[in-house]
Amino acid sequence: MFQRLDLGHGIGLRAKHFARFLEERPPVDWVEVVTENFMADGGRPIAVLEKVRRDTPVVLHGVSLSIGSVDPISGTYLDDLERLVRRIEPAMVTDHLCWGSHRGRYVHDLLPLPYTEESLAHVAGRVAAVQDRLGRPILLENPSSYVAFRDSTLAEWEFLSELCARAGCGILLDVNNVFVSARNLGFDPISYLDGVDPEHVGQFHLAGHADKGRYLLDTHDAPVPLAVWDLYREALRRFGRVPSLVEWDDHIPPLEEVVAESRRAAAIEAEELAPALRRAS
Amino acid sequence: MTLAETQALFHGLVTGEIPLEPPVLEQCFTGTTELPAIDRVAIYRNMYASRLVEALRETFLNLARFLGEERFAALGAAYVAEHPSEHHDVGCIGRRLAGFLRAHPDPERPDLADLAELEWARNEVFFAPGSAAVGDEALAEAGAKARLAFAPSLRVVVTAHDAAAVWKRIGAGEPVDPPAAGVSSVSVWRRGFDVVHCALSVEEASALRAAREGETLEVICEFFGAGPDAAAEAHAAISSWFAEGWISGVHRERAG
Repeated sequence: MFQRLDLGHGIGLRAKHFARFLEERPPVDWVEVVTENFMADGGRPIAVLEKVRRDTPVVLHGVSLSIGSVDPISGTYLDDLERLVRRIEPAMVTDHLCWGSHRGRYVHDLLPLPYTEESLAHVAGRVAAVQDRLGRPILLENPSSYVAFRDSTLAEWEFLSELCARAGCGILLDVNNVFVSARNLGFDPISYLDGVDPEHVGQFHLAGHADKGRYLLDTHDAPVPLAVWDLYREALRRFGRVPSLVEWDDHIPPLEEVVAESRRAAAIEAEELAPALRRAS
Repeated sequence: MTLAETQALFHGLVTGEIPLEPPVLEQCFTGTTELPAIDRVAIYRNMYASRLVEALRETFLNLARFLGEERFAALGAAYVAEHPSEHHDVGCIGRRLAGFLRAHPDPERPDLADLAELEWARNEVFFAPGSAAVGDEALAEAGAKARLAFAPSLRVVVTAHDAAAVWKRIGAGEPVDPPAAGVSSVSVWRRGFDVVHCALSVEEASALRAAREGETLEVICEFFGAGPDAAAEAHAAISSWFAEGWISGVHRERAG
């Protein structure tokens, strides 16, 4: 059964920052890496990760588990994932509530699911199977969505909550994705937060997006926008202290800028969760 | 629609196997006046193509530089249509690109397949398992019947054109000569975490192939000929294999 950890504030560690991260050991409490980039047996990425892991907690964040696909779960993928989990002993193993493969062909995207009872039963069974294989709970992230399905009968937050109840997994709540999907699909992001059980939330993601006029595109290529920081504050008020991560995957700035965003998240958390000051009478 | 039907439709729309047409789309997806379902699905379709082309570009940096943005994107789209990704790691998407370029050669640049093969080998070497290198003192102790074991990260690429020269010129931003046919062997390996490669002489390439196939040192040396400098050349070449970390073991002749 999933239980929230107290990890603090982390950043997504990307190849561009490997050397400086190892040299400077910036003030971050943990790092997240994209699981699939470290599944190879050798080379620089896994060697760097093993060094980082010696004194910094690592979270493995997958993009290709394809937990919602009607394809069988890839045995090769699970073998690689299990081997990496044993090697790195990550603080958390996370992936996305999505699917990305069909008949063995990968689109390398996080495609949304129709939120139906059929999908729920299907995903819950697969989450349980993955958790049994890894011997630990996983967390699933809400995707950014641009489409909604006629057949959906549940809101995404209802689907995720019920999934956690059935499968014992946790939610990686991507605050930016809630914001992006809310704008694209026309729901209230506050209703989303209100609909999630705090006990299920194990991690927050924060990132930037691009305004394309008619829709928001989840780009991870810019600072966290003010509106997402505001939603983060709302999330903190509801869910309390949750390990928070800043992601930056494109147009990646110098390491200190990513770290500064993470420090900003820590400052906002301190501000929101500090006990109210009492005025001396 | 069942989940399986929904995914079959969505996958086909994203990859382009199913045309983006409102009657089909609207059975499955909802839209708004501002952003109809067809435009919403098109977001995923556009991202599919650009993501895979970008993944190819990261692996085939010099091929992409040579072709330029537009030609490389067209090549990538044609390649992905014929060879969709079958691996969970998007970095594996390019493993058939050299073969694709051989099957669909550019009439003016038939050497592009060789360039792609070299860049793919460099990519494989980057991620290959490491191994402990053996020093050449082991060579001094080895008998003529000894055999060599090679690091799993070593690759030898045999091409129909001088891909290494083309790769170097593109990387340096220099004009690339017209392709000239001629078999070329290039070794690719890791020095620390850096991937390096170098062209091999015909003699060294033959000797290295024989060595990797398990021939003895005695046989390997024969590939350097019988001239007055042959022994020195063989010794220099084999010593360099040790110095570069290609050798992971020396198996001595078993006592009879």
